Amino acid sequence: MTRKILTEKNLVVRHSALELLEHWAIALSGLVLLLTGIFELPVGKRYYIINVPGLGWSADFITSLYLHYAAAVVFTGAAMFHVFYHGLRGEQGLMPRKGDASESVTVIKSLFGFGEEPPMHKYLPEQRLAYAGMAFIILMLIVSGLVKTYKNIYAPDMSHAVLLWATWIHNIAFILFFLAFLAHMAAILLKPNWPMVRGIFTGRVRLDYARHRHTLWLAEMEPAPKQPAPAVEGALPVKEAEAFADDTEEDDLPPELEKPEEMPKDKPEIDKGA
Amino acid sequence: MKKAKDLAIGRRAFLKITAGAAAASTVGLPQKASAETDHQLSTLIDLSLCDGCPDKKVPSCVSACKEINQDRIPQVTDPIPEPWPRKTIEDWSKKQDAFHRLTPYNFIYVHKAEVSVDGQPKTVFVPRRCMHCDNPACATICPFSANHKNKNGAVVIDQDLCFGGAKCRDVCPWEIPQRQSGVGIYLKVLPGLMGNGVMYKCDLCFERTVAGQLPGCVEACPREAMLIGTRKAIEQMAEARAKRMNGSIYGKTQNGGTATLYVSPVPFEEINKTMARKPGQPDMKTDVKRRMKGTDPLARAVLASPALGIAAAGAAWVLNRKNRTAGEE
Repeated sequence: MTRKILTEKNLVVRHSALELLEHWAIALSGLVLLLTGIFELPVGKRYYIINVPGLGWSADFITSLYLHYAAAVVFTGAAMFHVFYHGLRGEQGLMPRKGDASESVTVIKSLFGFGEEPPMHKYLPEQRLAYAGMAFIILMLIVSGLVKTYKNIYAPDMSHAVLLWATWIHNIAFILFFLAFLAHMAAILLKPNWPMVRGIFTGRVRLDYARHRHTLWLAEMEPAPKQPAPAVEGALPVKEAEAFADDTEEDDLPPELEKPEEMPKDKPEIDKGA
Repeated sequence: MKKAKDLAIGRRAFLKITAGAAAASTVGLPQKASAETDHQLSTLIDLSLCDGCPDKKVPSCVSACKEINQDRIPQVTDPIPEPWPRKTIEDWSKKQDAFHRLTPYNFIYVHKAEVSVDGQPKTVFVPRRCMHCDNPACATICPFSANHKNKNGAVVIDQDLCFGGAKCRDVCPWEIPQRQSGVGIYLKVLPGLMGNGVMYKCDLCFERTVAGQLPGCVEACPREAMLIGTRKAIEQMAEARAKRMNGSIYGKTQNGGTATLYVSPVPFEEINKTMARKPGQPDMKTDVKRRMKGTDPLARAVLASPALGIAAAGAAWVLNRKNRTAGEE
């Protein structure tokens, strides 16, 4: 089993390799879609983008369409993989929770020096809300994009009403996606969020940062005493708990792992299946 | 007699199918573009019959078209807002009578081709307008779906939705749609930054055909050089006439197929030589590929990608469970 808390390196694993792959597949293909989507508007010639070195193709709508389709394969495939894989595993760390809206206000106020941050889980409340918003936008983009793609190959004479709905949903979701992307980048500019940036590149964040800011997440990962009745008359001293943490597992685990305390529940089912 | 019979078939067939064609629909995943069905209309332009209306200043088809569409374009705003940063303005409002090329006010013109056939000089008149392609890139690639192919085969621009970006003209192999600046919805949004008017072109007299009437050009042609009918009937007729005159057909395969079939006793390669491609005056190259066809395999991959993503998720989940079980054992 992989250790999630690496005390000697002062790191904690926040994202698995697979999760990083999902994020970057969606992010990079999303950026290509955004750019080629803009180039599907007649802007290349009008705004002299074709004169920018390397962007001479920006007014060739068919070339943009090749790139748009290629990116859409990655984007749609990765998004569906994300939803179904984590759905099957029952992972809900990014799903909005009750009270996220008001808690987000508290967190955002604290970012500007007003009040204290509440103790937080692996993801911040506004991250969970942003995730839901982005998921909705992406769903709209994918569904409307599929209708438009189907039309392009098979049904240029499909119902104009259906096509207009798909077109305008795609166009509006495109604007929302762009704004959401800008908001995502703006969040990175805020200093308190900087330690999380490392996580989306390496999968790991600083342990002292996580202990300080993601208290509830760490608390879930810190070891529950294995022999509760006799051993825990009182809580372990902090230093002992940290030392013990080296061998612990994460509650909100990346795909390849499972919570230790869930093992006994799962095992009989697995045995039956085998 | 033969000619009269052909014509009668064409017109009867047209009248019979218009109502049905407007209501036809497609269900399920077709093997080919649904536009390629028997429900759509096609037109035939027989160049062996067209004489360019020598006794008239303006050919009958052109004047009929102009008359039908004379009120189509609303009053052009004055002054026309200057687009930024490229300051292109296309204003035909003061040259509405122009009939030697396609303009926003002129959807059809007649090209006079002086060719040589077997060493003999010959004049061929070629009416030119939108070909109404089977899978028209001008419509499918319109960012606002203002340009749309209808069930009856007519490719129609909704002038209330068009922003005049001229994307349709850029992707049309014949650059048919023409722009009039200073009209349209863009004036109500951000006229300086976005849009530049409305694109106009032949709509195969969509309202007339839905109402069971003939398109103006077909109805007005004194020599019945233009016909309209079902796709199948027109194709059969074109084949028969081409065979009879030992001629050739244009529009059947060009740009992936169109709803306009020209029949000519003179090879189209020869006719094309007389056509210097200019704005509003398309040429007639025979080798016209549908560029978007190249994107179809990737588009199919896009349609398959949700299933691929879900299958990969299922496979990864199963693999993960197996690994976990193996680890426990």
